[in-house]
Amino acid sequence: MLVKDIMRSPVTVIPTGTTLGEAFGLFQSRGIRHLPVVDQGRLVGVLTDRDLRATTSNLSGTPHTAGDPVSTAMTSPVLTADPLDPVEDAARIMRAHKIGCLPVMDGAELVGILTGMDILDALILLTGVTKPSSRLEVALADQPGELARLTAFLASRNINIHSILTCPGPGPGGALRTVLRVDSNQGRPLAEALRAVDFEILWPPPKPWPN
Amino acid sequence: MAALIYRPEYAGYDFGPEHPFTPARLAMLLDLLQSLGGPVSPIAAPAATREEILSIHDEAYVATVEALDRGEARPEADQFGLGTPDNPIFPGMDRAARWLVGGTLHGARLLMAASERRVLQLGGGLHHAQRGRAEGFCLYNDLAVAIQALVDHGYRVAYLDIDLHHGDGVQNLFYDNERVLTLSFHESGHYLYPGTGHIQELGGGTARGLSVNVPLEPFTGAEDYLEAFEAVVPRALDWFSPHVLVVQAGADAHFDDPLGDLALTTQTFQTLYRRILELADTHTQGRVLFTLGGGYEAQVVARVWALLYLTVMELPVPQKLPPDWLERWRTVLGPAVGQNLHDSEQTFPELGGREARTRRNRDVVARLLDSLCPLWF
Repeated sequence: MLVKDIMRSPVTVIPTGTTLGEAFGLFQSRGIRHLPVVDQGRLVGVLTDRDLRATTSNLSGTPHTAGDPVSTAMTSPVLTADPLDPVEDAARIMRAHKIGCLPVMDGAELVGILTGMDILDALILLTGVTKPSSRLEVALADQPGELARLTAFLASRNINIHSILTCPGPGPGGALRTVLRVDSNQGRPLAEALRAVDFEILWPPPKPWPN
Repeated sequence: MAALIYRPEYAGYDFGPEHPFTPARLAMLLDLLQSLGGPVSPIAAPAATREEILSIHDEAYVATVEALDRGEARPEADQFGLGTPDNPIFPGMDRAARWLVGGTLHGARLLMAASERRVLQLGGGLHHAQRGRAEGFCLYNDLAVAIQALVDHGYRVAYLDIDLHHGDGVQNLFYDNERVLTLSFHESGHYLYPGTGHIQELGGGTARGLSVNVPLEPFTGAEDYLEAFEAVVPRALDWFSPHVLVVQAGADAHFDDPLGDLALTTQTFQTLYRRILELADTHTQGRVLFTLGGGYEAQVVARVWALLYLTVMELPVPQKLPPDWLERWRTVLGPAVGQNLHDSEQTFPELGGREARTRRNRDVVARLLDSLCPLWF
């Protein structure tokens, strides 16, 4: 999944001379929180709703007013992403710099914007949680072939997999916690069948009474 | 007192011998009712027509089911959720599903014509089917077709779903409809299929507050379940003041069901059925339509749904299962069935973590009501 797959486009932008009052109006009317600022087509900054609130607050020493230009309040310079960047790299950059958006640049051209909300949308897509499914958690040894053994078993039962995610278990060398969403209402019988061939199933647990 | 709807053609809704949703459950149930209550002569309803199916489902989807029904190959079937392990393709599938829809729809019509107040449809309850897609053993959404007919008649409809799984199909189909209140009690969708039914799903637009979900912790037993039910259902009906109650009475929330982790007993189900009838008397002048639903352990569903029948019909509940019935169905029932209609009182050991489970269930109900009360009152 690449940035171009989940970015928003076209982007609402504002020229440097835009007033803070006009920018506030855009934030409100469009329900957005980030406005790239351009000067003769070139990206020069980003005005966030937080920039706006902080610089115009009565609690700040010399609050800006509605007539001031956005260039006095915007964040500059700006970190940007490329349309072909993998989504996880974009997420890591946003997280590391504690920023809420990345304007997406194709060369010198602003072609989209990626926000924290878009990253959440990506997470929802990646987990397959929007499709009716059962969720299984399997502990797999962190070594080649384990995932293949699991997916081969599901394939033999014609079970379609909506998503597979793995995350490291606790401690070094621990098992990988593998979360699957499968297109089936038969998650529990599937878990029992996997147990029967020696997979360690973390969820669903065995029934606490004899069945 | 109450109308019973059933016909032998329901057995045609059959995904094959390996599939949990087997029609053997129905044949066994009907035989049990006959052994228990003397002659049972159910109403044989007509199959739903194509037009009636199209009141809910997309034409492209229905056309695909029809083609597969005739044995035509449709490579795009999986795009419609068909030909999967949950929803295998079988000849006659369109017709088989339309018999079930027809029964539920006929039940709704009996209520609209005021010829009956209570109806029990011994089949259907295909609550996962979506507008353009088969889901979770459900081809056509019989409940939605019936609810739509009741709405078109001018009724406000309260839908109550006590299946183990979230009633996602019915909820989605009426999510923005201010004439339909959906109430679903189910095991939490954090792990269990279909993965929805969270307390934040409250309905859309002018119907906000009309989708109500009570997701319960795995291994939740009778006490927590009934407490949550009492906290939510009476006040929801009180506020909505429906004309009719439609109940999907799946039996898979029983502790012995192989697909889930809720821990209700036959006693819990009987309490629930009685309470639902009381609520119908209070809120809908007694108008209530029950369908079956999920339930995958043969000896459990036969006993649970027999209790549903006896309760709806206000017949006495015998202690023992008929020996001749036990003998006829011995191989299907297995050794766990015992001699009695009800579960024995010590069926499973006290489960650990009960306090934490109760606390979480109460939290969920409290948070749900916090969201709903400003919308309702």
